Amino acid sequence: MTSQIKATGLKKSYRKGKNEVAVLQGVDLEVERGELLAIVGASGSGKSTLLHVLGLLDGPDAGSIRVDGKRIDDAPERDRDAMRNRLFGFIFQSYHLLPELTALENVMMPGLIEHGLLGYWRQRRRLRREAAELLERVGLGHRLEHLPMELSGGEMQRAAVARALAGRPAIVLADEPTGNLDAANGQAVLDLLRDLNRERGLTMILVTHDHNIAQQADRVVRLAEGRIDEMVPSLV
Amino acid sequence: MYKYLLCWRYLRTRYIALASVISVMLGVATMIVVNAVMAGFAEKMRDRLHGILADVIVESFSLDGFYDFEEVMARVLEVAGDDVVALAPTMETPGILKFRVGGESITRPVQIIGVRPRERARTGDFAEFLFGQDGLGIEPSFEVPERLRQQSPAGMRLRELEDQEPDEFTQAMRETLEHHVREQVPDQGAIIGYALGTFHRGNGLPDQYLAPEGTKIGLVFPKAGKRPEAGYDEFTVVGYFKSGMSEYDSTHVYVPLEQLQKSRLLLGPDGRGAVNQIQIKVRPGVDIDVLAERLQAELERLRPMYFRVSTWEQKQGPLLGAVAVEQSILNILLFFIIAVAGFGILAIFSMIVVEKTRDIGIMKALGASTAGIRGIFLAYGLLLGAVGSGVGMVGGLLFVRYINEIERGLSVLLKRKVFDDTIYYFDKIPTLVEPRTLIGIVAGALLIAVLASIWPAQRAARLHPVQALRFE
Repeated sequence: MTSQIKATGLKKSYRKGKNEVAVLQGVDLEVERGELLAIVGASGSGKSTLLHVLGLLDGPDAGSIRVDGKRIDDAPERDRDAMRNRLFGFIFQSYHLLPELTALENVMMPGLIEHGLLGYWRQRRRLRREAAELLERVGLGHRLEHLPMELSGGEMQRAAVARALAGRPAIVLADEPTGNLDAANGQAVLDLLRDLNRERGLTMILVTHDHNIAQQADRVVRLAEGRIDEMVPSLV
Repeated sequence: MYKYLLCWRYLRTRYIALASVISVMLGVATMIVVNAVMAGFAEKMRDRLHGILADVIVESFSLDGFYDFEEVMARVLEVAGDDVVALAPTMETPGILKFRVGGESITRPVQIIGVRPRERARTGDFAEFLFGQDGLGIEPSFEVPERLRQQSPAGMRLRELEDQEPDEFTQAMRETLEHHVREQVPDQGAIIGYALGTFHRGNGLPDQYLAPEGTKIGLVFPKAGKRPEAGYDEFTVVGYFKSGMSEYDSTHVYVPLEQLQKSRLLLGPDGRGAVNQIQIKVRPGVDIDVLAERLQAELERLRPMYFRVSTWEQKQGPLLGAVAVEQSILNILLFFIIAVAGFGILAIFSMIVVEKTRDIGIMKALGASTAGIRGIFLAYGLLLGAVGSGVGMVGGLLFVRYINEIERGLSVLLKRKVFDDTIYYFDKIPTLVEPRTLIGIVAGALLIAVLASIWPAQRAARLHPVQALRFE
């Protein structure tokens, strides 16, 4: 079986004041199609940075990322924008919904970004229906017209999950998706992700520092000192 | 599509940004009002200036003028007959006006203009500027009405004599009095500038007549000849010339052309008098500058270096130019108001960009392009500018529309007249909204709003998505 995502020799460092901090020091990572992979590590180990680099939010200093055998990290900006829009779906720890927009509009956002004025006008019914269906799927069918500030934390994260799926991505990247939620809500979101992973065959990469959550993944890797260690769930 | 949705949402939720809109709005409204009023004044002034002068004026350099004006007029008609509506020969000369008020004698420097009133009336608005003492319009004529003779001191005594039996004594008395009447009320009428004949008391009081109808005035002027000598002639005031241009209303004295020619010794042996001006009224739509040049060339052939042909605009060049300069300087200054509003937009936008940093990161994570993010803020700036200038335009136009009502309200509130109509002789504030100016102001305001949002928009677009997402 060939891996869907194949990252080799990823390096990334940041300047912090005068010091150069090497966060990723040659990360090699392969992810199978439909796999739910958890990346664990201490805080500051570079988990989020790895996720950002994999999702093209940031460029690696060295190394390459291939998806389905095609290199994506050196693609032109236009293509990288399009891939963030349609290939990847992002879920963040603090939900990151746009406060001026309703839940429905937030979920429609990838579609709104993809289409210009005319394209949107032609497909507005489909985009609206799909977004409503997604919200229905995550259990927010009754909250379509609510603003983020009118939703609870769990609801906001579920709306964010719906938004991550709106662009019909192949890969979902989740950065501590349960980090801001209590245990019950966190488990609900995790169950939701697990279900979606199974029913839609989505590849998911989950960054977390919570070993309980990591245990529920198909495979767990640890990021330490800028490199990946393979781990089996039972050994965690 | 998200650009439009977001900037529309921002417009409706960020009230602080609307504060910057208010300054755009005020700037646009002020510019519209000031331009409308200035254009209105300029238009009225042009009307009045044009009313006094005909479209094209042929002058001789010499004050003593030329006798063959009929030939000159014929030549003018020959050259431009189709375009000419009316011609009026005129004799204009500087002079001194003298008349008595009570025991005092009043002396004023004046411009004495000898005209044939009916011909002159056909070449401009002359007739519309003529008023009697009662404030009503009068005919363009120098005829001295019989009632003025009867109202003179000698005339009144003459009336008393009418009841008595005619005998030798009353007959002699009558002849003496009739002689006095002619002395007190000269046969030749004159129309004098309104400001010459009246005293403006201000404070809403009516003007006082220093030289009421029937007053005898003396005019002193240079006689023709190599060595200029003062000539003197007497006239009776039969009306007033009130154009609304104080420069003319305080200097012009109109007298019969033939009488002035006679007094200035400019009546030839064949009975033809000299004139130094021919006023020409032109058919509407004719380019008067071209016509003036054509006439100049033609008259040059008739008598070289003798005539000067000018249009009314050329004759009033400095005054019209001054108004134009005033208007453009005021516009430049007022445009600074909108420029200040632009800096307000810049400051508030920079603030909003900082506030929206994380949202910008989110949008980038969702695939928004750099150009798209820039577009949000440019469109937002344009929208703010459009709202500001739109509301400002409507407000400005409403202000212009109801400016006289507003003036009345302000006058009541401040307990004094804001717009003293006696200064300009306008019964209300004149306004003129020029579509071109309006479009210019609105386009300028929009441009400034967009220019002011370029820098914040650029900053937003350049934000690194990861740093933006981490921003708290």
